[in-house]
Amino acid sequence: MSKIPLKRVFKISLLVWTGIFVLFVVGAIRKLLPMKVFGIPLLAVLAAAFLLFLAAWILYFRHLMKCEEEGRSAFGLFLIGTVHRYRFLIEQLVSRDFKIKYKRSVLGIFWSFLNPLLMMLVQYVVFSHLLNIRGDVRHYAIYLLSGIVIWNGFNDCSTQAMRSITGNATLITKVYVPKYIYPVTKVCSAFINTLLSMIPLLLVTAVYGLFSDPHLFLNETVLLLPFGLFFLLIFNIGMGFLLSSLMVFFHDVEFLWGVFSTIWMYATPIIYSLSMFESRAGWLVTLMQFNPLYHYISFFRTVILDGASPAFAEYGICALCSALMFTLGFIVFKKTQDRFVLYL
Amino acid sequence: MPQENTDNNLMIRVKDVSMRFRMEEDRSGSLKETVTKFLSRRLTFRDFYALHDVSFDVYRGDVLGIVGRNGAGKSTILKIISGILKPTAGTVTRRGSIVPMLELGSGFDFDLSGRENIFLNGAILGYEKQFLYDRYQEILDFSELHAFIDMPLRNYSSGMVMRLAFSIATVVEPEILIVDEILAVGDENFQKKSYAKMTELMGGGTTVLFVSHDMNQIRRMCNRVIWLENGTVRMEGTTDEVCPKYLI
Repeated sequence: MSKIPLKRVFKISLLVWTGIFVLFVVGAIRKLLPMKVFGIPLLAVLAAAFLLFLAAWILYFRHLMKCEEEGRSAFGLFLIGTVHRYRFLIEQLVSRDFKIKYKRSVLGIFWSFLNPLLMMLVQYVVFSHLLNIRGDVRHYAIYLLSGIVIWNGFNDCSTQAMRSITGNATLITKVYVPKYIYPVTKVCSAFINTLLSMIPLLLVTAVYGLFSDPHLFLNETVLLLPFGLFFLLIFNIGMGFLLSSLMVFFHDVEFLWGVFSTIWMYATPIIYSLSMFESRAGWLVTLMQFNPLYHYISFFRTVILDGASPAFAEYGICALCSALMFTLGFIVFKKTQDRFVLYL
Repeated sequence: MPQENTDNNLMIRVKDVSMRFRMEEDRSGSLKETVTKFLSRRLTFRDFYALHDVSFDVYRGDVLGIVGRNGAGKSTILKIISGILKPTAGTVTRRGSIVPMLELGSGFDFDLSGRENIFLNGAILGYEKQFLYDRYQEILDFSELHAFIDMPLRNYSSGMVMRLAFSIATVVEPEILIVDEILAVGDENFQKKSYAKMTELMGGGTTVLFVSHDMNQIRRMCNRVIWLENGTVRMEGTTDEVCPKYLI
């Protein structure tokens, strides 16, 4: 086992934090500028908070380095150590899944672009022209496409991750590898697809925007998309933990999930818009607040269709959903993982 | 060569390990069955101890043979030591890197090429990236699969798959090697080669745990032997002490 390059991790982490801060500030600049807290510009408060955070981070890393020198254990060290130790395996498993997915298809990776586009096209024709569900939604094609991309991202990840433990049964009973690696790598490899399908979404938006009335332009808020994607990723990993561990004990979960995810899909405003129900069924709008997918999809739509940063409360809600899902999944997984091998 | 049995040289300590399997009487695999059974309180278990209070120490350089009849718990103890199974009771303390050779080629993906599988399987066995890049040629040479290495594994013959698996598994010099009756694979020529490689690995100062039914192998390679019977240690000692008793 090679030594943990703590210094390098530290440098990278500083870069990442700064990157996150810059992305947020630049992306939400129009919302941030006029805001004030107790008379002080919000921007200044944020900058100060960020500097404080960085200082705390540096202190924490000093503590970790000291711990490492003295051979003491610390949670942070343990975490960095495991990721460092298994990073090669994680890399290999993710690239395997990704290679396998399109290995024998002619168009290969282009399916990641084509698939959501074709889905959007079909649904656009059906719901916009044949059934006329679009209501008063502006830019319905983009509205639909963003919903499809995010929903597919969630559905792909959770379905793949669900089978990650049972699918690797031969490995788990033969070699010791921390088991959480399997669902996490599955979610990651499926998530790469989601990232790829963001490309046609942005492209279509850019092209469509030129011909639409009123014009629709992508602007600096695009920089906020990584936040939405990150929340979604964490949510997916949590869901993957939960489903994969349940799946070991009850294979029925696979079929139940098929039904349940379909219900969930129709309960999420992908093809319809909530504004249709505001007058008829207000309770539905209230209920929708408890659907995490609604919040994620809204996040993306606000950024792409309105060209504005979501309300700051919306960040909080998305982060909270992700954190709750992750914690729930992680606890279930941790409690049951020692018994996996007995049931595989 | 085995060295002095001091705490400094302790590689594995198995202490009071028990492994209990709960066997549900006609085991249910579905949610409905479990729930209905649970509700009607018909979910009964039969306990089966695969291991019961097993303790032993393994020191640096030991080549420990584990013998016993089928179902004595040999594979279970190997799985517990490799960390795959968690014992119901007792503890296992290990030091150093472990390479388990419980089954060759687990984790191969048959849609990937031989080359890609070397890296995938190597990563699963816990090798470092740099190490694999350095030893890639060595693995390839040993497997003698130069002409086929970029073909997907599904086109390999089963002998070729085993040759590749063996070459990957034995390229390391782990501190602890766990072997479950796999010494020779492939055709006669390759069998000789792999046998020589195993002997070299086991004689090279590595600590080895070795399960086999071949008493000649045990005699030749091991310096200590543990005899398991019905999940307990029937006898433990040097090869000369245990082997004659076991045969009777």
